[in-house]
Amino acid sequence: MTQTRNADGRGGDDGGADDGGAGERDAVVRLVNVRKDFGNHPALDGVSLEITAGESVAVMGPSGSGKSTLLNLVSGLDRATAGSVVVGGEDLGRLTEKGLALFRRRRIGMIFQFFNLLDDLPALDNIALAGQLVGMKARPARRQALDLMDRLGIADRRDIYPASLSGGERQRVATARALMNKPSLLLADEPTGALDSESGDQVMRLLADLNRLGQTVLVVTHDPRVAARCADRVIEVVDGLIARDHRTEAGSASVTGGASADTNAGSASVTGEAPADTNAAELRRTVR
Amino acid sequence: MRAVWRASRAAVKRRRLQTFVLALVVMISTVTVVVTLGLLAAVSGPFDRVYAAAKGAHVVAEFDRSKVTDAQLAQAAKDPAVAAVAGPFPQLVFHQSVAVGARPINVPGIMTVVGRADPHGPVDDLTLSTGRWPSAPGEIVLRQPGFFKAVPLPIDLVTPGEPTLRIVGFANSAGQSADAWVTPDEARALGATSTQMQYRFHSAGTDADLKTGLAAATKGLPADALTGSHDYLALKAKLASGPSAYLPFLTVFGILGLIVSVLIVGNVVSGAVVSGFRHIGILKAMGFTPDQVTVVYLLIVTLPAAVGCVLGTVFGAALGTWLVNQVFYGIQGAELIDGAAGVPATVYPAVLIGMPAVVVLAALMPAFRARRLPAAVAISAGSAQRAGRGLAVQRRLGGSRLPRAISLGLGWPFARPARTLLTLSAVVAGVTTVTLAIGMAGSTFRFGELHRRTDQVYFTTGSGSPADPAPTHTDAQIDALIRAQPGVLRVAADASVETRIAGSTATIWAGVIRGDYGAIQAPLVQGRWATAPGEVTVDSEYRHQFGLTVGQTIRMLDASGAEVPEKIVGEGPGWHIATPDWQSFIGLNPQGRAATFYVTLAKGADPAAVIAAIGGQDPGLHGAVDGESKTSEKTFLSIITTLTIMLSIVASLGVLNTVVLNTRERRRDLGTLKAIGMTPGQVIAMVVTAMTALGTLGGLIGVPLGILAHRIVIPLTMHGIQEETPDSMLDVWNWAGLVLLTLSGAVIAATGAYLPSIRASRAPVAEVLRTE
Repeated sequence: MTQTRNADGRGGDDGGADDGGAGERDAVVRLVNVRKDFGNHPALDGVSLEITAGESVAVMGPSGSGKSTLLNLVSGLDRATAGSVVVGGEDLGRLTEKGLALFRRRRIGMIFQFFNLLDDLPALDNIALAGQLVGMKARPARRQALDLMDRLGIADRRDIYPASLSGGERQRVATARALMNKPSLLLADEPTGALDSESGDQVMRLLADLNRLGQTVLVVTHDPRVAARCADRVIEVVDGLIARDHRTEAGSASVTGGASADTNAGSASVTGEAPADTNAAELRRTVR
Repeated sequence: MRAVWRASRAAVKRRRLQTFVLALVVMISTVTVVVTLGLLAAVSGPFDRVYAAAKGAHVVAEFDRSKVTDAQLAQAAKDPAVAAVAGPFPQLVFHQSVAVGARPINVPGIMTVVGRADPHGPVDDLTLSTGRWPSAPGEIVLRQPGFFKAVPLPIDLVTPGEPTLRIVGFANSAGQSADAWVTPDEARALGATSTQMQYRFHSAGTDADLKTGLAAATKGLPADALTGSHDYLALKAKLASGPSAYLPFLTVFGILGLIVSVLIVGNVVSGAVVSGFRHIGILKAMGFTPDQVTVVYLLIVTLPAAVGCVLGTVFGAALGTWLVNQVFYGIQGAELIDGAAGVPATVYPAVLIGMPAVVVLAALMPAFRARRLPAAVAISAGSAQRAGRGLAVQRRLGGSRLPRAISLGLGWPFARPARTLLTLSAVVAGVTTVTLAIGMAGSTFRFGELHRRTDQVYFTTGSGSPADPAPTHTDAQIDALIRAQPGVLRVAADASVETRIAGSTATIWAGVIRGDYGAIQAPLVQGRWATAPGEVTVDSEYRHQFGLTVGQTIRMLDASGAEVPEKIVGEGPGWHIATPDWQSFIGLNPQGRAATFYVTLAKGADPAAVIAAIGGQDPGLHGAVDGESKTSEKTFLSIITTLTIMLSIVASLGVLNTVVLNTRERRRDLGTLKAIGMTPGQVIAMVVTAMTALGTLGGLIGVPLGILAHRIVIPLTMHGIQEETPDSMLDVWNWAGLVLLTLSGAVIAATGAYLPSIRASRAPVAEVLRTE
C-alpha cells in the first residue's frame, strides 16, 4: 500500500505498494510528553507518539488504562494537563474552545461506541448535519450525504430514524457522518463495542477499506480482533503509559485480503453488489 | 421511611438549581396569594368586625315628631325582623354653628343633634374618645374621629338662634348616626322636631334586606311619618372602595402566579422523572415499593415548595399588612377601621396547607409515571427514549436555508410537545402579566390625567386660628387680585361644606365653587359643570351610592336649613356635590369663605413670582405650586411594577427550568454536536433560538390575553371605586407598543434560556460522551 500526500496533508492511495517509512511521511498526530490528570490520578503519564498520514493505528489496553483519554486528547474533546498535542499541524493546546470546535469539524471524523446519532434526525440529515456545520447549504449537503450512504450501502435507509436502524446501520451512518467533511484523521472509539459480531465485522471491514484507500485511522479498542483486522500498527497503553508500539503485518494482510474476500462473499451493506474494485474506487472518492 | 427520606434528600441535593427555582416560584406565588387574600378579606372583614363590635345601626331613620309618637315607634320596632333597636331619640338640626375656644375647631355647617341619655345601648354603641357624656342642660358631645383626643376642652358651641352649649367630650359613632349628642331633655328643650330610630336587622346584607327590614319596623305607622333614613351599606361600600381598587388585578396576578407555579412544578417533576429513569430503576431494584418511589418524587418538590411557601407567607404577611392599611388611606370614615385592618390569621394556615397541596397535586401525575415504570426498563433506558416527535418539522427545518444551529434550535420544541406546552404556557402567563401590567399602568396614568386639575398654583386662606390669620381681602377681592397678576389665565375657588339632601339622614360633603372652576378641574364623565344656582354636579361615587342620575332634581339643605331644589347637570370628579350657589351654601362653611383659590398660568409664567406677589399683598394667602402627590397612583403603580417583575421572573425561571431539563436530557446530543464541530456560540444560538421561538409564540398568544384581561380588570377596578370607565382608560395601546409587548415573550424566554445555554456550551464533551 503506497501513501501519497495531498496538498492538505491527507493521505491518498495510488494503489501501489507501501514501502515508505514513517519518518518520510507527514505526522498527522504528534504527542510529546503528554500528561493528563483527573484529580490526583494521572490517566496519561508522559506519552509521546507519532502517527503518520495513511496509517491505521489501534490503541489497546485494559479498562482504565488511558486509551480513551488519549483519543479525546487527539480529537480535541479534552485538553492535556501537560505536554504538546499537535494534530494536522495544529497545536491543540493553543486553540480556544471555538478553535477546537472548528478543528474538529474540519480535520476530525469521529465514530463512537454508542453511535451518538441525533434521534430527531433521519439518517440522511444526521450525516448532512456535519456538512451544514462547515457552511454547506442544505441541498448539496444532503446530496453529498446521500452519495456517502450510497457508497456505504445504506442509501435505502436515508429516511429512517436512528431508533429504527440496526446497530451496524447506525455505525455506518455514524461513519458516513465522520467522513462527510473528508477529515485528515478518522477516530473510532470502540466502534464495534455495541455491535453483534456480524455488524462488528461489517464495521471492521469498512474501516480497513477506508484505510486501504488512504484514510488515516486511529481506533481505540480492547478487542484484539479489531486491532488485528483494522490496524497495521498497535499501541498498547497500560496505566497511562505506552507499554508497546508495534506493527501487525497480519492485520494489514488480513485487511487487504479480507476485504476482497468478504466483499466478494456478498458484503452488500458495505459495498453493495458491485465488485471490490468498484467499491474501492467509490470509497476512494469518499476519502478524497 | 428513612430510606425514602434519604433518597428524596439526595435527589433534592442533586437538583440544586431546580430546587431553587421551585422554591422561588412557590415563594413568589405565595406572596401574591397572601396579599390577594388579605385584600379580599379587607374589603369587608375589618368593617364588619368593627361595625358588629360597635353594634352599628343597619338603618338610621328619622321621623316627624308631629306625626308619630315615641310609643308608636317603639311598638312598631318590635317586629320580628328587627334584631335590636335604639331610640326613640329626640333630634334637631343646628345650622351654621361655630366652636369657640382656646383652640377653635371646625364643625359642620349643618349638625344633626340627638338627645341620648347613654352612649351605650343595643344599637350604635358610641365610643367616647375624650371628655364625658353630657349629663346636664347646656352640655354637648361632638362626633369627631379618635384623633381629636388632643384638643383641649372645654370649647363652646355657638349656634345662631340657639343657646351656647359647652362641648364636654368627643365621641364616635360607627354608623355616623349624629353629629352631636345632648341629654334627651336638652334636645326636647332645644325644640326637637324629629325622632331618631336606629335598627339592626336579622337580615341586612343587601339593599333589599334593609328596605324589607325598615318596612317591617315602620309597619302601621302613618305613611308620611318617616322623613329620611340612611343605611350602613353606603359607608361599607365607601370603605370597600380602597381594597376593591386593587383586588381585580391582584386576583388576576394571583391566578397567573398560581398557574405558572403549577406549570413549573409539573415540569420540574416530569423532568425529574424523565431524566431520572435510571434513578427510578435503581430505587426499584434496591427494593423501593411503587408507593415509596411515588413519595420520593413527591418529596422532591414538596421540600422546596414548603420552604418557598413559608418564606412567601412571611413576606406576604409583611407586604399584605402594609398594603391593607395603605388602601384605606384618604377614604372618609377610614378612622372607623383604624388598626383593625390586616391580613386575617386564617389566611396563613390556609396558604401554608393550600400551596404545598397545589404543588403535590401538580406533581402527582408525573410521580405516578415513576411509580408505574418497570425497574428493568428504567435501568436499561438510562433516560427516557425520545419517540421521535415533530420529526417532519425537524426534517423541513433541516432543509431550510437557515444556519443549522438555528434550524436545529427551532426543531427542539417539537421533540417534547408536552414540555413545550408547559413552557409555552409559562411564557404566555408571563406575557399576559406584562401586557396587563403595562395596560394597567397606562390606564392609571390616564386616570390621573382625567382627575388632574390644570392649575399650577393654589392659595389657601388658612384655618382662621390666631396662628393662621385669615386674609385681609374678601373672596371677590382675592379673585380680582390674582387675576391682575401677569401670566394668570384662570382663577377658581372652592370651600367645603357638610350638608344633607332631603330623604337621607347621611352627611354629604359638598363643594361651593366659583370662578373658572369647570375649566380648571378635570373633565367630567358626563354632562357639564354647574354654572348657576339651582344646578349641581355630582361625583361618580356619590351618584352610584345613592342611585342618582344626571337630569334628576334633588333637594339640598342650605345654610338656613331650607330645602333648595338642585338639578344634577353633570357627573365628574371632586366633591359629592358641587354647587356654584355661593349665596345659599357658603354659610355652612365654618369660615364662611373660600378655602382654596386655584390658578392656571400662561405658558412661561413663573409660579414662584405669582405666589410671591400675592403673598406680599395679603399675608393671609398661602401660595404653593401644585404638585399633587398622587399617592394612590404611586402605590398602585409600584404594586403593579413589583408584581409584574416578580411574575416575569417566575416566567423566566419557568423557561430556565425547561432549558435546564432540555439541556440535561440532551447532554449526549449536545456532546455529539460539539464533537462533530459545533462551536460554543452555535450551541448557545441553538438553545436560545429554541426558547426564543417559543417565547415569540407565547407573545403572540399572551398579548391578546393580556389585553382581554385589561379590558376586564379596568372596568372591575373602576366599579370597585364606584366610578365610570371612560373609553380613554381602555384605549391605552398603540401598534408599536403591541409589537414590543409581543417581543417581550421572546425576551422572557431568551433571558431564561441564556444561562443554561452557556452552561451547555461549556459542558466538557469528553466527560458527557463518556458518562452517557
